[in-house]
Formats: sequence, C-alpha cells, structure tokens
Amino acid sequence: MIANAAEIRKFTILSWGWLTIIFGLVWAVSWLVGVAIPLLLANVQADWARLVTEICQVLTPLVAVMVFIPINAMFMVLAERRALALFTVRKGPNRVGPDGFLQTLADALKLLFKEDITPRGADAFMFTLAPIIFFAPSIFGALPLLAAVTNNHNLFQVVNLPTGIFYVLAVSSVPVVGIVMGGWASNNKYSLVGALRSAAQAISYEIPLVLSIITVCLMAGTLDVVKIAEMQKGGLLNWNILGGGALSGLNKYFQALAAGQADAHQMLSQYYPDWGSVIATVVLIACTVLLVGIYLTGACAEINRIPFDLPEAESELVSGYNTEYSGIKFAIFFLAEFTNLFIVSTIATVMFLGGGDCPLPDWLNPLTNPAVTQPVGKFFSFFTDRIHLIDPSTFFPAIWVIIKVYALVFFAILVRGTLPRFRIDQLMAFGWKRLVPLSLIIFVLVTFAKGAVRLHV
Amino acid sequence: MEHLDLLRAWIPGRLDDFLFYLLAVMAIPMALGVLFDRTIIRSGFLLIGVFGSICGLFLVLQAQFLALAQLMIYAVGITLVVVIALMLTNPKLEKEAQPGTAHQQLGSFLVAGALFFTIYCALRSESWPLSSEAVSPDVQTIGMALTTTYALPFEFASVLLLAALVGAIMLAKAERAISDKEEPSKEAGEQNQPATLFERDTTVSSTRR
Repeated sequence: MIANAAEIRKFTILSWGWLTIIFGLVWAVSWLVGVAIPLLLANVQADWARLVTEICQVLTPLVAVMVFIPINAMFMVLAERRALALFTVRKGPNRVGPDGFLQTLADALKLLFKEDITPRGADAFMFTLAPIIFFAPSIFGALPLLAAVTNNHNLFQVVNLPTGIFYVLAVSSVPVVGIVMGGWASNNKYSLVGALRSAAQAISYEIPLVLSIITVCLMAGTLDVVKIAEMQKGGLLNWNILGGGALSGLNKYFQALAAGQADAHQMLSQYYPDWGSVIATVVLIACTVLLVGIYLTGACAEINRIPFDLPEAESELVSGYNTEYSGIKFAIFFLAEFTNLFIVSTIATVMFLGGGDCPLPDWLNPLTNPAVTQPVGKFFSFFTDRIHLIDPSTFFPAIWVIIKVYALVFFAILVRGTLPRFRIDQLMAFGWKRLVPLSLIIFVLVTFAKGAVRLHV
Repeated sequence: MEHLDLLRAWIPGRLDDFLFYLLAVMAIPMALGVLFDRTIIRSGFLLIGVFGSICGLFLVLQAQFLALAQLMIYAVGITLVVVIALMLTNPKLEKEAQPGTAHQQLGSFLVAGALFFTIYCALRSESWPLSSEAVSPDVQTIGMALTTTYALPFEFASVLLLAALVGAIMLAKAERAISDKEEPSKEAGEQNQPATLFERDTTVSSTRR
C-alpha cells in the first residue's frame, strides 16, 4: 500500500473536478455562441440576423480560448502545487473550499485587488506593455491547434491555416520580447539579468525545438496541423512518436491477422520488402523517440520551466524578470506562463502523440464499432441531432486530447519536482553542443531513412 | 476572408486598401520613432513593432509563409540580438548621441543616397503586373523556387550568415584574450563564451545607474 494513497485520491478527485468544470464551461460557451444563437436566428430573414450569425460563428474559437485560458491556469497552478506536495510527501494547499479546491480562485481574486505599483525610474509605458506582449501570443498562437484537437470541427475550421505549425512556432517565439521589455523597463538589475538570460536561453533552445518539429513536418510532408493529426489516425502504431508512420504497415498486418486473412504474411512482405526498409523503420523509430525528447527539452527551456528556469532563479535573482511586477500585471505574467505550458503540451500531442486519436487501433476499439455505437447513440440523439450540443466526431477526440495533454503537463510537473536547476554555462553548453548537433543528425538520418520505407500507408 | 462578405459592405473602399492604410499608419510613425527616439533600447523595441506591421502587410498580400518568416526571424530573432548587443556593448545607455563630424555626415549622406537611388531604380525599372488571382500559399512553391531559380542568391545568403557566425566567434575570442591578460583566472581555459557574456552583463547593469 502506498503511504500517501489518501492524498493521491484527493488529488485525483480535485483534478477531475476542475477538468469537468473547465471543459464543461468551454463546451457550453462554444455551443452557446457557435450553435445556439445561430439556431435561434435561423428563422429570421434579415440582414442583421445573418451578420450576427456569421460574427458569432467566426468568434467561437476566440471566445472558447478566452474562457479557457484563465480557468485552465487556475487549475494548473493548483494541480502543480498539489502534485509537488505529493512528490515531497506534504499536504499542499488544502484549506480554501473543500480540500483546497478554491485556493487558486482566491489567489487570483487577491491578485486582482492588489495595488498596481510602477517602480520609480521605470519606463512606465513599456512596463505596462510587457505583460501584454507576453500574454497575447498565447491566445493567438493556440488557435490553429484548436482545429486539430477538435477533429476539424466546422466551427473551428476557420482557424486552421495551411502554414499551421509554422504559425504556432512563429507566434510562440514572440513572448521573449515581452520578457526582455519587462526586464529592461523595471529599472532593476535583477530583472535585467533575468530578461537577458531568458533571451539567450530562448534563442538557443528554439533551434533544436524548431528542428525537431521540422523533422516531423518532413516526414508528414505538410505544415498543416489538421493534416498531420489526421495522418496519425488508427491507433498507437500510426503515431509519429513510433517512427512517424513507418509502423502503419505492421498495423495493417495485425489487422489482417486478427481478421483471419490467409494472405496476411504477404502483406508484411509488401510493406517491408527488404532488409533496407526494416533497418530504415528501426532508425526512424529511434529518431522519433529522440525527437520527442528533444522537443520536450526545448519546450521546457522555451517556457522557462524548472530545469531551465534561470530567468527567474529565485536563489540568485529574487524573481527574475517579474521581480518588480505586482497585482494584475504579475497575474498576467503568471497566466501566460501556465498557458504556454499547456500550449507546448498540445503541440507535442498533435505532432507526436496522434492528436485526438485513441491509442487502440480501430479494429480493437469498441467506440468505432457500429454494432456498439448504434444502440448507445440513440440515447443521446436529443443532444447530438436536435440541439447539436455534442458532436460525436469531436467529442471523443477532444477527450483523448485532454487526457494526453494533461498527462504531459503532469510529466512537466514531475520533472520540476525531480530535477535540479542548470547553471547558465551548463545550459548553454547543453543547448549548443548537445541538442543542436543531435537534432541536425536526426534530421539528416530521417531524410535518408524516409526514402527506404513507406510512411502512413 | 469569405466570412467577411457582409462586413465588407460597411467599409468604404476595398477591405485590402483599408487594412493596408491601417498597417501603414502603424508602421510609419514607429519607423520614425526608431530614428528619433533618444533611448536606444526603446528604438530597438519600436523596430520590432515596424517589423510586426510589415508582417501584417505580407498577410494582406496573402503571403502567409513570408509573413510568418518575417515575424519569426526579423521581428524576434534579429531585433532581440540587436537589443542584447546594445545592452552588452554600451554601458551609458542614456548618453546623448553626439552629432557626427562633417566627414561622417557626408559619408552617411552618400551611402543613404546610393541606397535610395538603387531602391528607386529597382522599383521603377521592373514591371509589376497586378493580378487579382490568389497566390497559392503552398510552401512547396517557395521551396522549389529557392532550390532552383534562386539557388545562387540562397547560397550567397548562407555564405553571408556563415561569415557573420565566424566573425562573432572571432570577436568573442579577442574579448576573452584581453580579459585573460588583465586577470588570469585559474579556469580561464574552461570558460566558454556564454559565461563571459553573462559576467560582463552583470557589470553592465551595475554601472547603468
């Protein structure tokens, strides 16, 4: 029996409770704006009704994100504190609300009412602008991912771009400008050092990060996140983390074997004709697993999570670039940091972990079996067909995305509880001497291995 | 843009024109600010704003990839490097800029004039056919053009970047050799560039006020 099983149970209940609230609310708001209002206006034959309908539908993704970001950050702060308490066998915040459920809500309210101080000698305009520049990209950057994680739902198709992942990467490289601006405008040497460290770190770790994403795009042959997510459909063996689709032939073979086809072995020799293709498959699997590691490392450094949190190293720099911030501006910095953690986890999910795909292959999965879904589906026909509250083709992918993304977030918290902080020269040496060459080598390897085997057949 | 059909009726003129003038109104004052702001760091940040507006112009022209590359490389990467270089090399940030000597002013006038003349010739000599047809936002088109038609300029750009890299390393090395002579530390051989960079940076920020 685990010693703190009771605490683990409490943490689980708390997480499920918060997640239900977050996504229930986001779902309800998106439905209200995107479906309910247009449904009500469907019978009105007037110009303004059409205009309102269009505006509502175009604004749905934005409204969903705006509702999602603050509540999600509240949950993630609470989850982080409770999880860290778990790892160090403490209790964590457990007084406000039932078992600490409302702790971060109280914190957020307190921060909103605190006095907003601008230090003497600070550049007031840039001091105010910095949190905005830091926060805005996390709203705009997440938008194309929204189409990928909802299985290209009609309402969220608008935000999909042909240059999807490049857009996400370009926009998520903007926040470092906000950090440098805030650090410089604070008129505080700790802030300035934190900001400069952040800039150096972000520039050096962006290279392996982008190279790992580029390698995935090279294998997929597209930058479109929706297409990349769709390619990986059909179970664990199709995901990019396992060879970027090199194993989908094996998946087909297992399917034929399970169906009892006699020519299953022929299939295997059709997808993997010679030793070259087998070796290429093994190389691709090794490369993609390493790529996930590189991506997660680069992402951790990019968003200043703990093994790389030198910009706000509290033992050296008080609190780094946000030392002088208080009240609402500090809250915005905080909000953006946790939202960025969520966004990089979502990118990892979409690019490597199959997006909204169930780990079970289709032929094993009861949820895609019509014999099971037809009778069950009838019970929900009021929700699915009459008021369009639930769209089954979006609902299940969304659930899988939520599970995968929060698993990655939990992993990041675990890393934070486990690893010590780097020193600045170690950080730079690790970035430039290890990660950059490694990601370049993988890029070249993948370029050659990709030619010897068919991906995503 | 197909979702904005109804909005379009409310705005006089074409939507593209409206957006163009909006972005121009943002870009030009910021560009002037880059030139005339006394605080050098501030003009660095204004430069980011200028690049951001130009990225918006590319978006209006439906060159999505170009716009994003502009944002990622110019607006963030290069300008940040400029800002950091300014912070590390110029301790007296608030010092008023000295007006240059007559020789310097003549030189800069000549360079600026030659640049203006070149750009003017380039703008006027080529024909710029207008087309209402949407450019395919395909990355493939750009990739093919870069590796076939424009392979030579592409290679020149990479050589230029390599030269910049080597130059940066040489500058950093020379800096370290001088500081080693002044105070020989026991682990001077192990110190690499970032460590020295950040040692210097603390001294800079302490002499700032």
